Formats: sequence, structure tokens, C-alpha cells
Amino acid sequence: MSELKTEVLIIGGGVLGTAVARELSRYKVDATLIEKEVDFGWGSTKANMCIVCQGADHQEFSKEYHPSPLVWQSMPLMEPMCQELEAPFNRVGELALFFNNSGKEKYEKMMARAESRGITTHQLLDRDSLRRLEPNITREATGALYDPGIAVTDPVRLTIALAENARQNGVNVITGTEVQDIKASAGGFEVKTSQGNISCEFVVNAAGMAVDKVAALVNADDFVVFPIRGYVAILDKKVSDLVSHEVHASPEAPGESNIITPTVYGNLFIGTPMKLARRGDDATNREMAEVALRNARRLIPDISEKDIINSFAGFLMFRNWELGWHECIVNTSSTVPRFVNVSIGFPGVSAAPATAREVVKLLSREGLKLRENPGFNPYRKAITDFTNLTDEEKRKLIASDSRYGHVVCRCETVTEGEIVEAIKQGAATLDGVKFRTRAGMGRCQSGFCSSRVTGILARELGIPEEEITKKGGESRQLLYKSKELIGGRE
Amino acid sequence: MKLQDVDVAVIGGGPAGIAAAIKARETGAQNVVILERAEKMGGLLYQCIHNGFGLFYFNEDLTGPEYAHRFVEKAMDTGVKGLPETMVTGISPERQITAVSKGEGYLSFRPASIVLAMGCREKSRGALGIPGTRPAGIFTAGTAQRFVNVEGFIPGKRIVILGSGDIGMIMARRLTLEGAEVAAVVEMLPYIGGLIRNEVQCLHDFDIPLLLEHTITRIHGEQRIEAVTVARVDDSKRPIAGTERRIECDTLLLSAGLIPENELSLMAGVELDAATGGPTVDETRQTSISGIFAGGNVVHVHDLVDNVSWESELAGESAARSAMGGKGAQGKIKLKAGRNIRYIVPQTISGQNKVTLYMRVNDMEEGVRLKIGNIMSKGLRVVKPSEMLKVELAPEQLEKLKEGTSEIIVDCERRERK
Ligand SMILES: Cc1cc2nc3c(=O)[nH]c(=O)nc-3n(C[C@H](O)[C@H](O)[C@H](O)COP(=O)(O)OP(=O)(O)OC[C@H]3O[C@@H](n4cnc5c(N)ncnc54)[C@H](O)[C@@H]3O)c2cc1C
Repeated sequence: MSELKTEVLIIGGGVLGTAVARELSRYKVDATLIEKEVDFGWGSTKANMCIVCQGADHQEFSKEYHPSPLVWQSMPLMEPMCQELEAPFNRVGELALFFNNSGKEKYEKMMARAESRGITTHQLLDRDSLRRLEPNITREATGALYDPGIAVTDPVRLTIALAENARQNGVNVITGTEVQDIKASAGGFEVKTSQGNISCEFVVNAAGMAVDKVAALVNADDFVVFPIRGYVAILDKKVSDLVSHEVHASPEAPGESNIITPTVYGNLFIGTPMKLARRGDDATNREMAEVALRNARRLIPDISEKDIINSFAGFLMFRNWELGWHECIVNTSSTVPRFVNVSIGFPGVSAAPATAREVVKLLSREGLKLRENPGFNPYRKAITDFTNLTDEEKRKLIASDSRYGHVVCRCETVTEGEIVEAIKQGAATLDGVKFRTRAGMGRCQSGFCSSRVTGILARELGIPEEEITKKGGESRQLLYKSKELIGGRE
Repeated sequence: MKLQDVDVAVIGGGPAGIAAAIKARETGAQNVVILERAEKMGGLLYQCIHNGFGLFYFNEDLTGPEYAHRFVEKAMDTGVKGLPETMVTGISPERQITAVSKGEGYLSFRPASIVLAMGCREKSRGALGIPGTRPAGIFTAGTAQRFVNVEGFIPGKRIVILGSGDIGMIMARRLTLEGAEVAAVVEMLPYIGGLIRNEVQCLHDFDIPLLLEHTITRIHGEQRIEAVTVARVDDSKRPIAGTERRIECDTLLLSAGLIPENELSLMAGVELDAATGGPTVDETRQTSISGIFAGGNVVHVHDLVDNVSWESELAGESAARSAMGGKGAQGKIKLKAGRNIRYIVPQTISGQNKVTLYMRVNDMEEGVRLKIGNIMSKGLRVVKPSEMLKVELAPEQLEKLKEGTSEIIVDCERRERK
């Protein structure tokens, strides 16, 4: 790409940018999505609790900035969308614990709020019914608000699916390309990227953590966001029996939110202590780990540090940290026409389907012509998921292609066949393979499979093993060949 | 051989599995099969190209591949069937095995007995909970060993190693010989985690700095690791503020503990011992489930392969006897860990037959006396968690057991100074 012309340029391949791209592909619009990383969903979307919230019971702090409507409008769209795209979706239900009467009263109000929004499935559980549902929950809890509608998904796989489906339906999807400058011009915008220039008529800025920086390139930054860092720890699948619902309680201290949730793969997540932090500094530290563990034990006392197999930190961009959780921007810039800013600190995954529709509406208001794309195909096929096949299906598959009989990742039982499919789908790095197939995500954290996945990547991409990276750029895994450091050549 | 006719199925084709399979054949089991997920039999020994193997078993100083080769050859000679690239995905309490295999397809069969020999895995960065960024260039020592010795790559040229396990120390020497610089080996404890001979031959002989009572408090670098922060730890192993310093590196190796791999054992309903992380076994190496036996690092982490071979031969022999209709050990006397004892394997004995006990202590101590109930007592100059204690109980000693004894306490007592 050195010069490119497009009608709509979407900046950012997170869950929001890709959802917008797919939504636009329902229309005959010439759209381009660009993402600076070599793969999709590696921003906030990757560092996530994976919960699909309803938002129906949330209090609105400030109407203008609040994503709740987008969240509750998204809920009925989410499951069919995941089905069309063969992305994971599992309705686990939610339990919001209370420990005394005033806690109970607070949840009664929430329930009333949800009902006023047409969601009537909430139930108040007393201690005994709670215990029947979740025997390992703390004895301190006197009851819970039960919401059976809450689900979990895999945000990165969903994002990859959205990007793929957008591409199938005609969107020009480009990775490894960063927007560096934007100038408003007569007909729209001149955008300078790391790979060349793009001229476009409309911009959707879904740059996640960089939403304000990208907007500032063209003075479309009529907002201020604060980077808040959240932390999540992953527990071994062998303790997945501890809890089967997403469980949380009101935080003991600001920023100490305590949630434990099942994931679509059987691991539990605990999180998320949150704190204002230097943007991009997603290093974990001891303090977060200790807070997360302490808070999780308040919900399920049996959780042990020993069961943690990994942890990560990620960023949420909040408009106003003091106001609380739910801060969002889904607006046309007040200073620059035809420039739409999209950012949802939390819960951007849950709000993605309705947000994408809203953005398309905003673009149309700015003058984008929306003619239906008769060829739009909402379906996308996921790659094989070997572990979830029946015995008979496994037998047949291996008989037809022996690569499915070769287990490469022992912890998650990922086969060579699946890894090859992932590479064909666009994975070019170890992390790319990991997020698509889970190879390396299990309890040994790639100790066993990394050398084998490296070999398969090199073979399939036709490049030497030393050039294989963990996540693109300078993240090569193997820096030298044998004997290279002692002057010899093998 | 049809899988339906298997007498003994061995899960894992490392030194433990091969030794068990050979012994099972020698004991008289007809059809013995090893299921191994890797490309070939031999397990991790093939990447351990250093020497020091077999000093006890063969009275010879062999390299890992040489040691493995002798067993693999013998397995072929005795008619053991090996299925490489075959991953066992499930074992039921009724001993039904399911597996996927590149060569054989999808397998499901029920052998007369099973030997668990899955070995152990290294603790990952996530399990160790090392804070910081998540760049490339962080490997467990065993993964790095495979890259260097089998695949022909050097991960980087300035290395820090966390933990002083044997593989870590051996890789410190190996990478130094390959022209890399090992900036430090960082160990939380006041003493090394592996064998003394490795401390001397791998670290001291190559002037590799060893930082005892230190840990890594942060990993730096966005794409490739650039440095680590190390700090001294206090008695409760917490970093002491103000003692931090930064060590530049392009690679971090982790050699801070091994975990027996017992996910399949759990599926089969086998009871595990919290102290070893492996199945509780009797003196025949039968687990809590009849017909399922276990040997080697899956039971408890050994420091020497020689002991792995011996222990697994016992498991293989018992599995064969069980497959042929023999009765297991009669009567169960529990061995209980007392003062400064972390674990004892086997966890139960019959009291009828001579038996070897393997033990580890919790803390390093000098001038101690090891007491096995009132049947044996032995003075020891020094004990360390990293060096396994091995004690043989002869029939004469076991005769001292009172009728109806149900528990024997093992203590490591301080010796009175004279
Ligand atoms: C710890 C934690 C837990 C969370 N839990 C949940 C949850 O359970 N449920 C839920 O719904 N939400 C959750 N969230 C929130 C959710 O992750 C975010 O709302 C959502 O991922 C935001 O998506 P996005 O597409 O806006 O951002 P991102 O995923 O960050 O996408 C932005 C993309 O833009 C790219 N980009 C940036 N600058 C440029 C440029 N100049 N040129 C090109 N590309 C660029 C980035 O590389 C990135 O891929 C959580 C967040 C955190 C941090």
C-alpha cells in the first residue's frame, strides 16, 4: 500500500473497530480498516474479563457519556452475532452478592431499574438458594441478585471473526499499519500511515487506548480520557469446579472491584483491581496480584495462589474516573465533521453490536450514503476446534488428515491441523496462533509447544525459525543460531 | 498386537515409562505398549546432552541420550510396542484409555493395567507470578535446552536465570560454552535448588554469579526482554525495599521448580498427595485405584534418573503381576511425615516386604537423626530439600513392627551435641 483511496477509514482493529467494519459491510460502502499491530484485538480487547454484561440494571451517572443503552441494546444482538460468526458465547449467569440488608436494598433498586428497562429475568436469592447454586461461595454472603442473562465470550476470537467477516463482505482490512498523521482536506482527510498515504471521506476513530491521540492529530479531540489499568489472573482448569456463575460483590475500596468468572474454556478469571496508571504501562506488579487474590477469596475462600497459571494487565479509557465505571464516547467530533470517535472504557465488548449500529447511523447523518449490500453474508466459519468434536468426528478427521492426530499443545489439546488452519487464517506469530487455537495458553504456558509451534509457523510461512516472533516487531524468540556467538557456522 | 489385548499400557515414554515397560515384559506380561506424545521415545533425556547419568544404575558416566538409548534398545529387544506421537487425552477410573495418534488415529481401549509415567513439567512465568511486562525472550530452562541442544538455536546472548534447579545450572554452563554471557543465577533460598555437583561444575567452574536470597521483582521490555529488576528477600521470602537493582539481559530462563503432571491421574480419579503433587502409592507403586500404577517424576520429582528407572521398574513389575491376576500388597501402614520431613514415598507399606523409602526434608539442617518410627534410626551430617534421602528397610527391621501398627511417623530430629 503506498497510496490508497477509500470512502470510510476505520482506525483500530479492536472489538469496536472490527464491529463497525462488519456493520458497514452490510452496505455498499468502500471501507478500509487499519490496525497497527500485526493481528486483531491486541489492545484492550485482549486484556479482558470476557463478560458479556446486560447493563440493564446499571445506574446512569451522566446521560451523555453513559454506554448503558448501548449495552442493553447489544445483549439481544450478541448471541445471534456470535452464532453467525462461530464465536464462543456461553450464558453462565451472574450472581451479585450482598452481605447485609442495606446491600440487599441496593440490589432491589437495581432489579426495579432492570424491570423498567424491560428485563424481568432478575431474581433475588436468599442464602440457601445461593448456596445451592454455588456451594463454594463465602458463608458471609446473605444472598445475591441473580441475573441469568449474563454470558461469557472470547473477545479476541470474536474480533478476529468480525474482521474476517468484514473482509469477506468487501472491507479492505490491513494490519501492521499505524496512523501517524491526519489532515482535514476539502473532500475529507489525508491520512499518513507507516505504510503510505490514505485519502478518505470519513474517519471512524476506534483506536482504543490511543483514541485521544489519534483525534488530536486533526484537532477532533473534544474530550479527555484517563488511562485506568486493570489486572486479571487466570486459574488452572482443574479448579473450574469452584464456581459456575460470574460472581461479584461491591468493592471494599474504590478501584478494588472483585469479580470471579468462568471463561468459555473452563479456566476461571479473577480480577480486577483498577488504578490510574501511565498509559501503555501494562506491566503487572505484586500489589495488584495480592489485591486480586485477596478480593477473590472474599467471594470464594478456597481460591489459592497455587492455582494461578498466568496474569495480565490491560487498559480501560475512562472519561471521568471519579464518576465510576461506564464512560464512553460514541460521537461525531464537535470540531471536525465526518470524524466519529468511538471509545468505550467498559464494557466495550458487551456494547459492540449496538455501538457499531450507532456509528453507522452517525456516519449516515454526516452524509455517508447507505445502499444495502445484496451480497452481504453474515456467516463465517471458525477453524476446527478439535477438543469439542465427538469421538466419531475425531476418528474421521484424523483418518482424513493425520495432522489432526498430532497434538502439539498438550495442555489444551491443540493439533497440528488446527495450527495450520490458524496460519492460513492469518496468524503469523506465536501469539497469533495462541489466540486463535489456544496453543500455549494452558497450564504449562507454552513450555512444551513453543518450539513446535515455531517450527510449524516457519514451515507454513516459508521463513527461517529465527524470524518467527512472539507478537511482531522486535519480538523474535530465537536471536542466534548455534555456534553463531562463538564465531562458527553450523 | 491389538490394542484390545494390551496387558500393560504405559503412559509416557520417558525413562520412567520405558523402564516400567521393559520390566513388565520381563515379569511376564505379554502385550506391553507405551503411549508417548513426542516424536520419539526417551523423553527429556534426548535433550540432556551433558554427562552424569547412570553413575548408579550402570556404574558408568553416560550422557542423557546414551542412557536413554540403552533403555530404548532394550525395550525393542524385549518386545515392548512403542506408539510415538500419541497423546492420551483421557483415562477413566475403569482404566478406559482414549488417545489421539498421528499414526494410529483415534484410539480407545481398556488394558488390564496401567502405569502412569507422565513425568513432570517446569513452572512457568505465570505460575511463578513474576510481575512486569510480557515480552519475548522468557523460556523455561527445559524449553531453552531443547532449542539449543535439539533445534540448534541460541535464544540470546545475555542471560539471567531465575532459580537454581539442575536444568537451569546446566543451561548456564551450556550457554556460556555457546558464547553467551550468563549475567546471574538468581535463587530465592539461601542455598541452591539442584545438586551440589552442578553448582560446582556448572556455576563455580565458569565464574557464573550466583545471587542467593534474591528474586526477580520485575521484567522490563516491550517486545523483547531488556532487563530484570532483582532484589534481596527477607526471611519470609518477600523482596526488601531499597535492595533492588537492574540487570540488563535479552533472555530470561526459569528453573524454579518442577510439577508432577497429574492431569490424567485426576481424570482417572487417582488420589494425589499434596506434598509430592503426585499419586499416593503403596510399596508396589499401585495408586488409590486398583490396576493403576505410577513411577518416576509423576509420583515425586527425583534428582537422579537412576532412581527414576528403579522406581518405575517396580511399578512395571507390579502392573504386570496385576495384569496376570496377582494380588497386590496386603495391609496398609501409613508413613507419616513428622519433624522436618516434607514427604515420604511410598505413602503406605505392607510391613511384610523389604522396601526403599524416598524422602525429602523441608529445610536444610546440620547434625540430624532420621528416625523411621522405632524401627530404624540413622545419623546424618546434613540434609537439604534438594537432595533426596533414600533408606532401605530390611525384613529384620520390619519385624520390629508391632502387630496392628497402622502408622509410622518419620522424623528428622536434631542430634544432641556431645
Ligand atoms: C482488565 C479489563 C477487563 C475488562 N473486562 C471486560 C468485560 O468483562 N466485558 C466487557 O465488555 N468489557 C471489558 N473490558 C473493556 C473492554 O476490553 C474494552 O471496552 C474494549 O476492548 C475496547 O475495545 P476497543 O476496540 O475500543 O479498543 P482496543 O481493543 O484497544 O482496540 C484499539 C485498536 O486500535 C489500534 N490502534 C491504536 N492506535 C492506532 C493507530 N494510530 N493506527 C492504527 N491502529 C491503532 C490498537 O492497536 C488496537 O488494536 C475490560 C477491560 C479491561 C482492561
